[in-house]
Amino acid sequence: MRALIAAATGLALAFALVLTMTAMGSPAGKTSPKPLLTTVPAHP
Amino acid sequence: MRRKASLVLLALAVFFTALSPLLRWYAFPRLAKIPANQYQDMVLEAKDATLLDYGTMKAKKVPKVTIVQTLKGNVQAADKVEKTYGKDVVVWDSLSYVQGPDGKMVSKLPERYIFDAHSQEPVHATGEMVDDDPVKREGIEFKWPFLTEKRDYVYFDAQTRTSAPIHYKGTQNFRGLKVYYFEETVPWTKVTFPKVMPVKGITPESVAKTGTTRWYTTVRKFWVEPVTGAPVHGEEIHKEELRGGTLLGGRDKVTAFSGHVKMREDYIEHTVALVKSNRTLVLLLTSYLPWGFLALGILLLALSLYLEARSRRPADPEPSESSAPEPVTA
Repeated sequence: MRALIAAATGLALAFALVLTMTAMGSPAGKTSPKPLLTTVPAHP
Repeated sequence: MRRKASLVLLALAVFFTALSPLLRWYAFPRLAKIPANQYQDMVLEAKDATLLDYGTMKAKKVPKVTIVQTLKGNVQAADKVEKTYGKDVVVWDSLSYVQGPDGKMVSKLPERYIFDAHSQEPVHATGEMVDDDPVKREGIEFKWPFLTEKRDYVYFDAQTRTSAPIHYKGTQNFRGLKVYYFEETVPWTKVTFPKVMPVKGITPESVAKTGTTRWYTTVRKFWVEPVTGAPVHGEEIHKEELRGGTLLGGRDKVTAFSGHVKMREDYIEHTVALVKSNRTLVLLLTSYLPWGFLALGILLLALSLYLEARSRRPADPEPSESSAPEPVTA
């Protein structure tokens, strides 16, 4: 019985971690202030 | 004590074993996405190209034609589209600016490309356009999806405003990277004149009145790194002609542009380095961590079983006190 509880805890923690990670996502950030280029850049 | 330790190890074993498929098939498709605020520029060159001189209306050889391509993620526009679409969306405002050897503008083609940040499926929303003409894209443009497959993809052509298959032609090694090579031939197609013409005073409408039409064909080649879906090299054998009408002075056709367009060397090096680092990040979620966690889970489970087995083994008998030997008497 104790082994079953231990296994269930591990499983629940794995699901909790992955769900939290995906729910948080990543911030979108801001649009770059750099313009669409009409001159040839010297380097990347 | 051993019992407790084996239970903790069992919990950890299940945790890491479960994390392995969850990361690969649940987290990866949701976490891997193209950032909405990406900004990227690219320089392509066509050396020894043929270009139309609009002063004489004759084609002439030029040492170099340069194409500057910029992609800029528009976060505000993406937020607006996301509200109706309900998924992560990327809006790319792009400009392909073509410059002659004298530095003057030859043509420019602005675009707005809207797509799903994860799958790269096109998203149709207000503002999607090519050269201010509303379009409904099918397929991909500029970039392939993550985990690119060895198959044909539908690719959108901005000149013709149509989509057609771009064919998978094999796997190659490009500067130490395994890449998939894709190729597409766009046959001669009548296309519209750009909204902004290279000569002041000439408009697409005024050219249309002369009866002259613009035709285009290209052989498009891409070398795509399959884990990230990013092209590390691109080439086009691009030809444009003006045909018929009074503008050509009795000639059937004149070459407007002809050249073999290739990515500039420093941009190839930069792109390869960037793709190599991004590739590691994608592989972390699709391969390194899932396989690592699975191995760790199995190891922890084995250790847990070992400790459990030892805790159940009956204890060794206590060593009996040895009696001192009795003195021998004769």
